[in-house]
Amino acid sequence: MSSLPRWLARPLFYLFLGVYAWLLVLPLLSLVSASFRTEADLFTPGLLPPQPTLEAYREALAKHPILRYLLNSLAVSLAITLGVLLTSATLGYALARVRFAGQSLLFGFVVGLLLIPDEVTFLPRYLLVQELGWINSYWALIVPFLASPLGIFLMRQFLKSLPQDLFDAARIDGAGHLRTLWYVALPLAAPALGALGALSFLGAWNMYLWPLVVINQNEMKTAQIAIAQVQSVEVSSWNVVAAAAVLVLLPTLLAFLLAQRAFIRGIALGGLKG
Amino acid sequence: MINAKNSERNLQNSIPTRRIGRLGEGLEVALLLLPALLLLLVFTVWPTLNAFWLSFHRENLLGTERDWVGLANYAEMLRDPAFWRAVGATFLFAAIVVPVQLLLGLLAALMVARPFPGVALFRTLFFLTTAVPTAVAAVAWGWYLHPVGGTVNRWLEAVGLPAQPWLTSPELALPTLAVVTAWAGVGFTAILLTAGLQQIPEDLYEAARIDGAGAWRQFWHITLPMLSPTLFLVALLTVLTSLTAFGQIHLLTRGGPMESTTVWIYRIYQDAFFNFRFSYAAAQSVALFLVLLLLAALQFRGLGRRVHYE
Repeated sequence: MSSLPRWLARPLFYLFLGVYAWLLVLPLLSLVSASFRTEADLFTPGLLPPQPTLEAYREALAKHPILRYLLNSLAVSLAITLGVLLTSATLGYALARVRFAGQSLLFGFVVGLLLIPDEVTFLPRYLLVQELGWINSYWALIVPFLASPLGIFLMRQFLKSLPQDLFDAARIDGAGHLRTLWYVALPLAAPALGALGALSFLGAWNMYLWPLVVINQNEMKTAQIAIAQVQSVEVSSWNVVAAAAVLVLLPTLLAFLLAQRAFIRGIALGGLKG
Repeated sequence: MINAKNSERNLQNSIPTRRIGRLGEGLEVALLLLPALLLLLVFTVWPTLNAFWLSFHRENLLGTERDWVGLANYAEMLRDPAFWRAVGATFLFAAIVVPVQLLLGLLAALMVARPFPGVALFRTLFFLTTAVPTAVAAVAWGWYLHPVGGTVNRWLEAVGLPAQPWLTSPELALPTLAVVTAWAGVGFTAILLTAGLQQIPEDLYEAARIDGAGAWRQFWHITLPMLSPTLFLVALLTVLTSLTAFGQIHLLTRGGPMESTTVWIYRIYQDAFFNFRFSYAAAQSVALFLVLLLLAALQFRGLGRRVHYE
């Protein structure tokens, strides 16, 4: 590479970059292309649909409660994200900034929980949720995920890294822990909270196995498992399946494009469930 | 509110409110601790313990009661060829996902780690798959690899090769799913590796350039050694996620054809929810847990180190 003259290296670099990006994005582009085709046009060669039409979207929305699925996912993901931020901030603060008996033991406990994957707990958790009568409800989708060991760990590490003076000053001003957390720690933790929020939202939005087993009522399905539903109904109508998939992609895609920094920081920070 | 009043009183007169302050602090600490702790105990700790408990039991025919059977589930598991097929498929799957995803992600990261005109656009494109839900990725590839209309088979036919039954042949389905999984993880890998590359001090490269080292030697002697802790961490994370891949398999092959893509977690899902053998499935999930635990412990050491650096 170093032997190439500079006037040649630059264009070659861009060419390679462009081809690579194109290949990576191509499966998505071909999905988008299929969603704008009629069923008759599905197999017409070329990336661009010969006669672009919104017919597949109309059909997907008319035959399947896609907006309801998306709303389910949105409600569940937002609730989980808020819950995780709240429980991570409170317990993280307690572990980083409060002194109480058994604190290091508790921290060790949280760290230990980091090692337990969802795939191991989902069967007994299913039995528990069943016993609670939560099958086919938002409770089942939300409550088990409101506290995240990773979130607690990350918030604890972040709050621990803040200078002690700030907390001393708050104490001298007579602020209790809750006020200190709300007025001193959280404003400073805004970037960390944003990253954790993005990570939690993405993780919740992507959940697949859990909603699959706790939800079997159609109108309670989240967008992810609804795709499987749409696919099994629209066996050969790939344009309709593609339209449904694009509709499910749009929210996370928009969120990613708008809050790319928070997403990237969240993934770089926690990176457990990309 | 109580707390706000307490602190105001605290300011006015510190001596009489001292005890109230103490009491308030205890209440505050409880408020900080309890919600998260209760949730963790009920929805993580209890199910974990229960997974072990279940694995030592077996349900009766009605599925209403469970009898203690000791290690019988484990003994059965070790003799069950279906279980071993699933384990084999899982590791084969991971063995394809991890190198493919790391290579694709590293290539992307190497190109966008340093700024150049237009870098923001290419970062967005390379990191984009992180925003693609698993189910959407699966559908996109289901169409991309379609036996008739799929782009990949079109290309094969264009160069005179036969179209391939990517997802419907027992030989090809698992590797194909592995590539789909690696593609879906490229953004994730690229983000972590880009962050790792950006931490390598620029002066190392300058010194190497002064010494006359070309791009290739810089890569081998600076980039790769300096990046290796991050690479190790990302590799472990990728192993972990690939060992528990589920959504794309459920959507694209349902564990088939001929159970060729029935991986460990898929086996657990089927035994629990289709064969109604919950405790047998629990035993398999405990076994999976032990494998993941080993890897997660390694990963945790990496995570702890990274957080210290930051």
